[in-house]
Amino acid sequence: MSDYFNQLLADPTSFHNAPYDEAFKLTNDQISQLHIEGARKRFAELRPGISVLDKLAREQGVEAINTIDDIAPLLFPHTVYKSYPISYLERSRFDRLTRWLGGLTTTDISHVDAKDIETIDDWLDLLDAKTDLTVAHTSGTTGKLSFVPRTKAQWRQTIVHSGVIIRDWWGRNSGPDIPQNNMPIIIPGYRYGAAAMQRGNGIQVDLYAGGEDNTLFMYPDARFSADVASLGGRLRAAEARGEAGVQGISQVLLDRRESLVELEKRRPEDVRKFFDEAQQRFGGRDVYVTAMWAILYDWAEEGLKRGIKNIFGPGSVLLTGGGKKGKDLPDNWREQVLEFLGFTNIYEMYATSEMMGLCMMCENGNYHIPPVIIPFLLDPTTGKPLPREDGIKGRFGGLDLMPNTYWAGLITGDEVTWSGWEKPCECGRTGPHIVPPVRRYGESEGGDDRIVCAGAPEAHDRALEFLAELSM
Amino acid sequence: MSQEFTVPLIIRGEIIDDAKIEHGGRRGGIRFRAPDIAEHLNKLMLNTPSKMADLYEISFEDILDYLVELGQRLHFESNPHVREAFRLSCMTSGLSESILKFHYSNLPGMFDRSEMRAMIDRSCGIEYLEGWVDQGSSRFPGLSARTRAFGARCVHVIAGNAPIVSILTVVRNALTRSDALIKLPSNDPLTAVALVRTMVEMAPDHPITKHISVAYWKGGDDAIESVVYDPRGVEKIIAWGGFDSIKHITRYLQPGIDLITQDPKLSGTIIGKEAFVDDDTLKAVARRLALDIGAQNQEGCVSARVIYAETGLDEEGVKRANRLGELTFAALQELPPHLSTPHKAFDQGLKSEIDAARLQDEDYRVFGGRNNEGALIVSQEDYPVDFSRILACRVGNIVPIESTETAVRSVNAYTQTIGIYPESLKEKLRNRLAFQGAQRLVSLGGAATMQHNMERQDAIEPVRRMVKWVTEEQADGGMLEGLSK
Repeated sequence: MSDYFNQLLADPTSFHNAPYDEAFKLTNDQISQLHIEGARKRFAELRPGISVLDKLAREQGVEAINTIDDIAPLLFPHTVYKSYPISYLERSRFDRLTRWLGGLTTTDISHVDAKDIETIDDWLDLLDAKTDLTVAHTSGTTGKLSFVPRTKAQWRQTIVHSGVIIRDWWGRNSGPDIPQNNMPIIIPGYRYGAAAMQRGNGIQVDLYAGGEDNTLFMYPDARFSADVASLGGRLRAAEARGEAGVQGISQVLLDRRESLVELEKRRPEDVRKFFDEAQQRFGGRDVYVTAMWAILYDWAEEGLKRGIKNIFGPGSVLLTGGGKKGKDLPDNWREQVLEFLGFTNIYEMYATSEMMGLCMMCENGNYHIPPVIIPFLLDPTTGKPLPREDGIKGRFGGLDLMPNTYWAGLITGDEVTWSGWEKPCECGRTGPHIVPPVRRYGESEGGDDRIVCAGAPEAHDRALEFLAELSM
Repeated sequence: MSQEFTVPLIIRGEIIDDAKIEHGGRRGGIRFRAPDIAEHLNKLMLNTPSKMADLYEISFEDILDYLVELGQRLHFESNPHVREAFRLSCMTSGLSESILKFHYSNLPGMFDRSEMRAMIDRSCGIEYLEGWVDQGSSRFPGLSARTRAFGARCVHVIAGNAPIVSILTVVRNALTRSDALIKLPSNDPLTAVALVRTMVEMAPDHPITKHISVAYWKGGDDAIESVVYDPRGVEKIIAWGGFDSIKHITRYLQPGIDLITQDPKLSGTIIGKEAFVDDDTLKAVARRLALDIGAQNQEGCVSARVIYAETGLDEEGVKRANRLGELTFAALQELPPHLSTPHKAFDQGLKSEIDAARLQDEDYRVFGGRNNEGALIVSQEDYPVDFSRILACRVGNIVPIESTETAVRSVNAYTQTIGIYPESLKEKLRNRLAFQGAQRLVSLGGAATMQHNMERQDAIEPVRRMVKWVTEEQADGGMLEGLSK
């Protein structure tokens, strides 16, 4: 216990492969110590190399962290990871976008020459090739894409971390140790792309499945394009600029149209093949499935329509989250998904794209905040931190101590209630937890791109619809 | 203070107060109770057009007398209905108490006899409302025509962001001898009630009182709306508001119903290079710009949001834009409290955007925006902020431009008012701005005066469209008979 605690204190990143159940045996005093010392360490390490954090600290007049509440003014508004002007994209100023991103990470990317880049996808590929980063973008369902400067090493850590969670969440070694005993991976989505969900795919294929042969993707050859995902936000910005804006955007669209229309044509065939293969190759077997609820429901609905039920083995696992994403789902949507999948071993999370840690749901329906995330509830109007008392409601923010090259401290657009400060959860896990429901502040406040990659294909579909209309 | 309010149903002079149904409000968490409209549907609409006749037994001067007297009964101190509407608005409105107090204390001023006369004369012509006006001779010898403007049976779906909307509706309805059902907005259900209730107390049997009703129901309720929007009882629908409110109504459109929409709009500013000749001129410009942004707490469609400034884009040019931002922010803080104050419910989504913009000093310079005091965000390139659509709560975005061409091409059909400096630039650009979609061009600082916006709004003439233009023709019988041979 004490070794575990000291290890975390010395290096919060080590949390990623430490036994997960230990995290919820710490005392509140230990958690507080981890929080304050971890925050001091990260702030001291990261401030000199992250100009945006340095500016915020100067703005807020914070020079040292004396109490836990001193961190609250240092949380980024969630808009920071998308604070670049859209004009950078419209004018193909990827050199400026690179410089903007450079202000958010200690990873040196100043040598990257992005002057001749014209699309976001190419820019992301260039950063992949020339730097330690594998930048992830959000889905952009309702607006601009965020870009999170996570490193290659951190991506591997997050996948290892999910494996540890699956193994230990319901008790040490209660779940499969997937990296040790590989399982087939089933993902009802894109194989490639730089959205948060796709960024983990390659590593999961390697670490969980042991190779491409042991995987099944809905779109095994397709890339989820950042350029397409960004269209919604760009169109909106363009329209607000009248004629001048709309003329600017149309060329970008035209250039992409053909390949997208081609992909759209293939879609029904891809879906059919996905179901066939799921039944033939993986039917009845224990598999690992991951996707957001809303996407799972679409999949299950389509499967049930085809008469497919209880498709996978009882030892399968599902890693999911994301709620209904504003979709109009029937009351029994959850039951429908489970009926289709045929197993009940579910790991459900609340998470944000910028943090590496996940808040997992326990048997009582609460999301437990891991000790490496310093949580805050802020008054929605004043932004001031609210007391660490059970049953308080406010805007959720947090600093995740795991990332050591960018500042994973931010204010979300979610309204939550927290507990566990005075009385631990009845499940026995210590430390703070979030009591559902998680509610979004107004659309304009949160946007739909908070939770990891959710709703991504939806953004794609809408863009494709738009393109189809445009080509008519 | 109680946050429970009662919104009566008033049908043609009859006040129905049996508030059975509870409704949630908007801002401020208010609730109010209102009668069940379904129980009174049978008498809500005027299904017998012959009942319009009583409006034609009174003269235009009688109508003015009525309205002027109504105005006199709307004093804040003596009229409890006005005070109740004010009390509710203080909770639901984006306007601060001091601004609302100014509005509600000045209701009588809105019923100025000569103003009302001039307004209706410009839009319809009083002689057309009073009688048949000869239209001159035609190609056919002996054929003449006379036209008269008749009131129509209308449903008004009004906006609740400022009390002026209720006043305009009541005044327009009376002057045009129309029949109105006002569908109350949930964010201001009581201002129209205060006016109509006072009318009932003042002259319960007067034809004007008998031709106005107010009701609240939840928009989209098909059981009610299928009756309200039935062409047997309504000829015109005057709808304010956004996509959703119009979308409801379009379901019921059919031949026989004329829909007049007053869409949500945004307004902006164009400032020519002359503003930057010296710092004193710039200070004066900044004060006028602050007025266009800040008046009515930027809650109106006339409020300026994106400001194009012809500063040039070199370092000096951007510096000039920044100076304008600094001065305008200072001027914004100096606006008198009856016009503008820090916003009491600052949009937190906008706040996050401002906070992030402040950290991107290469792209934006931000003045203010720390709490609810308002802000000027100066783009450092010729591009508005990506969140320009949600600018509100006294936040403007100054965009430096090389030439006013960029500004002209950014205007679209959603642009209502453009404040322009100097006058010569307005004259130079006015035709082109109109092609692009702009609807009202004003001297910088004049966006919120609305002196000439009462009968022309969003480039339409709503009053003119509210009435029916009926023509009577006369020809010589022999001439007509000749046509048959």
